[in-house]
Amino acid sequence: MNKTLLIISREYLTRIKKKSFIIMTILGPLLMAALIVVPLYIVHKSEKETHVLVVDDNDYFLNKFTDTKKVFFSYLSGDINDLKKKCISGEYDAVLHILGGIQSNRSNLYYHKEPSLSLRGTIEEQMNKIIFDKSLIDSFNIAPPLFATLKERSQTHIVALQIDEHGNEQKSFTEINRIIGIVAGFLIYFFIFMFASQVLRSVLEEKTNRIVEVLIASVRPIQLMLGKIIGVALVGLTQFALWIVLTIGILGAIQLSTPDFFQLEETTELVSNIDNQAQLTPADNSIALQKTNILNEINNFYSFSFSTFIIAFFFFFLMGYLLYSTLFAAVGSAVDNETDSQQFLMPVTIPLLLTIILIMPMAEDPNGALAWWFSMIPLTSPIAMLIRIPSGVPLWELLTSMGLLVLFFFFCAWIAAKIYRTGILMYGQKITYRDLFKWIKY
Amino acid sequence: MHQNVIREKEKKRRKIVELIRINNIYKSFSNHQALEDVSFSISKGVILGLLGPNGAGKTTLIRILNQIIFPDSGEILFNNKPLHRKHIEDIGYLPEERGLYKKMKVGEQAIYLARLKGLSEHEAIQRLKYWFKKFEIESWWNRKVEELSKGMQQKVQFIVTVIHQPGLLIFDEPFSGFDPINTEILKQEILTLKENGATIILSTHNMASVEEICDEIVLLNRSKKILEGKLVDIKQHFKKHLFSIEFAGTSSDFLNSLPENYKILSQQENYNSISLTVQITPPSQPNDLLNFFIPNTQILSFQEVLPSMNEIFIETVTS
Repeated sequence: MNKTLLIISREYLTRIKKKSFIIMTILGPLLMAALIVVPLYIVHKSEKETHVLVVDDNDYFLNKFTDTKKVFFSYLSGDINDLKKKCISGEYDAVLHILGGIQSNRSNLYYHKEPSLSLRGTIEEQMNKIIFDKSLIDSFNIAPPLFATLKERSQTHIVALQIDEHGNEQKSFTEINRIIGIVAGFLIYFFIFMFASQVLRSVLEEKTNRIVEVLIASVRPIQLMLGKIIGVALVGLTQFALWIVLTIGILGAIQLSTPDFFQLEETTELVSNIDNQAQLTPADNSIALQKTNILNEINNFYSFSFSTFIIAFFFFFLMGYLLYSTLFAAVGSAVDNETDSQQFLMPVTIPLLLTIILIMPMAEDPNGALAWWFSMIPLTSPIAMLIRIPSGVPLWELLTSMGLLVLFFFFCAWIAAKIYRTGILMYGQKITYRDLFKWIKY
Repeated sequence: MHQNVIREKEKKRRKIVELIRINNIYKSFSNHQALEDVSFSISKGVILGLLGPNGAGKTTLIRILNQIIFPDSGEILFNNKPLHRKHIEDIGYLPEERGLYKKMKVGEQAIYLARLKGLSEHEAIQRLKYWFKKFEIESWWNRKVEELSKGMQQKVQFIVTVIHQPGLLIFDEPFSGFDPINTEILKQEILTLKENGATIILSTHNMASVEEICDEIVLLNRSKKILEGKLVDIKQHFKKHLFSIEFAGTSSDFLNSLPENYKILSQQENYNSISLTVQITPPSQPNDLLNFFIPNTQILSFQEVLPSMNEIFIETVTS
């Protein structure tokens, strides 16, 4: 046992001293922080208020535009050639010139400095609505107050409610669940491959260096194999821990330097919207309602299964890694170089690849037969179960899947150990599947 | 009855000095029989040459001794007790297929390998310093293995094989990769280890070094033991009654009257002497041969020619 610890510590220390480990450890958090910071930065950047001057020759659109959180509309009439200069002076950010009134499908937007990307879309959308409403009112002679009522009634909003086994209702937000599941699935796939390949290379290195026989004259082959697998696992966990700590550190530093960087725009805007509810049109009201629900539902989601999710993530990463690394170790012991390893790696990695290929259909229907079976079969469950968990998985299914994975790991480790102890002593021979079966039986 | 008692006594006496006893070992792999009914023993403090052509089963036997693989049947006693995992720390093994971690520093690696043999870190460092000094490679302590020449790597490997001072040392082709000077150094080290009480198994194809340092021989061929014994006994057993004679003068006419039971196998004329190799057919004795020469010429040298291990090896393996 003492010697196994010695092997683990060598595997661990030589790896974390490597340049590639240090680079990965630094790059990882930078990448993660960038993934969080850059979108926020873009939001901040494009968030500046835009004042649009509407010049409508026919006054059809006078006071018809509704201000959004970023875009404010003002109205003036006069010579467009004079008015459009107002965007040069900076008085307005853009000048909208509606050429032919309600019949027209052409307008010009003048600006001096590039406005936000969404401005044109916002204006087009609003204009279309105004034109459509106006046409409806005109065609059917509906009184404007009645039209507003009708419009309010025709607004629909769907609230997704998930019912657990006790019949309790939970609001859920399936889009985010799906995305988190997919991201987690990809991460697990990536890490399993990355760290299991390290085990493969390490086994191969000892074999091609010819140091392996020196080592197994001192320790049992199984100690060597397990020491390696555990050592690499600890490297992986260290890397995760450092990533998390460093990412939080980077984000913390940004928070300190720019205190309101992570302030969610929606929250402040919602409050002001709710305060001004009296003045809001029915349409705006419903947008505000929808936003409140999104926030609530994100919170609901996190409070519901986030801790389960994190535990499951570590469990399935660790067990998935252990399972695949034993198989990779067996493959590494049976061949003489990395090129030869491909033929034996193929069948081992097919379940992983298949799961990744089917990740979208499984995320679409997390409780369908495909996702269910894949989340139970040990070779695919580390990825498939992670996809399902955010959408809610009954406890017994989760435990069954975990149990099967652990049992299957022990089975694979037993087989791998048999292949490993024979394989590491075979030099310069072309190994076939028949040989592998003989080694297992032997 | 009396004889039986003597045999029992003899057995007991032998057992005391026996380090390894191998009894009826069988080992087969999926496609061939690697060892078949191999038995022999190794006394404490001797150097045993484990010889045989490629594929004879030497490496299999060595791996069984190291408990890397296990025999199908038969038993091995180590100090009169069945070979056990704990004996691993009393064995030092230098495999034929050997190497080191290329990217690891020499000293660090040597400490690691020594600790795997059960030494404490402190002890390992102390002993390594001693050996590195002895082999004049101290300056390599902090270098990576890939920067070392093959010969230097072999030195490091030799050091980590003997570092835990095991009772049994197994060297499989220890001289490969060494130049003549380092081969000599290594031979001397092996002899020193023997003097210090270690028992050594030397597996090699280098017959010259076998003759130089081995006390006993076990010869395997096609998975069976075909020869065993002390080197001197084996040489006696295989001797062809050959003698070399050198005598003064350049006249060899008197040899025409050499009796029938002496056969001249080779004759070489030197500047002012003649060398012969003569085979004597028993029961004639060397002295009889000398008696024939003495009246006729001045004898400069007379010596028995024993077969070399090389000749014995080829003869027994090909017969």
